[in-house]
Amino acid sequence: MKKVFIVCATGIATSTMLKVKIEKFLDSKGIEAELHQYRIAELSPDRVNADVIVSTTSVPDDISEKAPVIDGLPLITGIGQDKVFEELYKKLS
Amino acid sequence: MENILVQIGELLNNLGPLIILPIVILIIGLILRMKLLEALRSGVLLAIAFVGIFLVVGLLGEELSTIGAAFAEKTGTGLDIIDIGWPAAGALAFSSPVGNLIIPIGIAINLILLFGGLTDTLDIDIWNFWHMAFIGAVVQFITGSFVLGLVAAAINVVFALFLADWSAALMQKYFKLPGLSFPHLQSAGYLLLAAPFAWLINKIPFLKKLHLDPDTIRKKIGILGEPMFLGLFIGILLAAFAGKDAAGVILTGINTAAVMVLVPKMVSLLMEGLTPVADAARDFMMKRAKGKEIHIGMDSAILIGSPAVIASGILMVPVEIGLALLLAPLGNRTLPYIDLADGVFVTAMLAPLVAGDVLLTVILGAIVMGVGMIFTTLLAPAVTHMVETVGGVDIPAGYTTYTVMSDAAIPHAYATYYIFQSPVVIALIVSFVLLAVMYFIKKKYPLGGEK
Repeated sequence: MKKVFIVCATGIATSTMLKVKIEKFLDSKGIEAELHQYRIAELSPDRVNADVIVSTTSVPDDISEKAPVIDGLPLITGIGQDKVFEELYKKLS
Repeated sequence: MENILVQIGELLNNLGPLIILPIVILIIGLILRMKLLEALRSGVLLAIAFVGIFLVVGLLGEELSTIGAAFAEKTGTGLDIIDIGWPAAGALAFSSPVGNLIIPIGIAINLILLFGGLTDTLDIDIWNFWHMAFIGAVVQFITGSFVLGLVAAAINVVFALFLADWSAALMQKYFKLPGLSFPHLQSAGYLLLAAPFAWLINKIPFLKKLHLDPDTIRKKIGILGEPMFLGLFIGILLAAFAGKDAAGVILTGINTAAVMVLVPKMVSLLMEGLTPVADAARDFMMKRAKGKEIHIGMDSAILIGSPAVIASGILMVPVEIGLALLLAPLGNRTLPYIDLADGVFVTAMLAPLVAGDVLLTVILGAIVMGVGMIFTTLLAPAVTHMVETVGGVDIPAGYTTYTVMSDAAIPHAYATYYIFQSPVVIALIVSFVLLAVMYFIKKKYPLGGEK
């Protein structure tokens, strides 16, 4: 199963909002994937075994080298949500 | 009118958050055009999160309330007020009577100001309305009046929006996030105090040359970015200094780690319930703000991936502990604890003031937290009252009192508390003068240059 890391500053607030929305989206597409929530500061490169990272905050280079990063901010602001979902869909299918 | 509000306040108090919050969320959800079942789900999920939060806050009360006092006594430092951390504080603030009504009040005030042309920010970050509710709850404690608590919270909604407008240009430029602003008091609340000092230290050439590399710091001591280990270390250190035996030392380490890991898990559940409501609120507000030039108000958490913010945030751990000890003779009684894990919120909006220089950011952080610790000490009785009444935690007499580093350290949180100790008319006049001054500052001297 494909792995999605959902990352924000606290691993609590905005990443949970992303998780809720991504879960809903994946459900509607019938895609199964493991979702993991992390706080950005605890993520070290050797820990990253994700197929894709969705983050509401900027991701340091040594981590974005390990997996493609999608900017999750549009899912919070509501502007440009579809593009994020489209990108995610491409990465997971 | 006042009578009705007082009665509402009593009703909220008597029924408690577990009954009130699902109902309030259900009603708000329906007003925001959510589907009935979805709104109900959000409400119940929120209540479940609170059941969990109260359980874990109870753990904080029972296991850790004696540590602070023992630490203060054994070490002779006098640091007997323990910081409960923002996740617990946020949950408690939301479940206070003022917190129950903060969402509709926040949305209403924001829309009024937006259409009145007084703000450019549309705050869609519903969760962080808790900061305003926190100040309201503190004022309710000092005045005994639910109505005044609401008024204080409302004043702080305005203040947060003004701070967001004021700093918008700088934040957008530095973090490359066009169209956003940050009415998030946990970070923006420190700006007003920090800005003059930033102006000053930017003029000292010597300091600028000591360039610390943010990436090296992050990689070297990044493990402190993980709350579990941070909690374990701090708990063990604290218990050792408090003179506990070996088993007690380890147990305190585990318990502290547990609080740092478990409270956020519960808050995450709360966010899950809140997300659909926040979405509905966003759409509701956006629809009404159509055609307006707006900045979307967001959680400062999205700024925290920036290396300078992470590095300086991690360095705030030793700095805050050192400051607490250093300031003890000057009257500080606050022992930094759970919020040590989130120094990044302190530094998030300070870093742009000094162009992302790590050392200068830490200096600014030390200034605002050093001053802030005096406030957290002074606000401890009010916070302890909230933990006891809302969280249902019994604190043995003569033991530790609680505070919250993240919020009680914000200068205008204490200012509001102080102002509302005077007669109501004076409190209101002073508040409005302060808001007017802030409005003038944001109009005339926006951070990040010309508007």
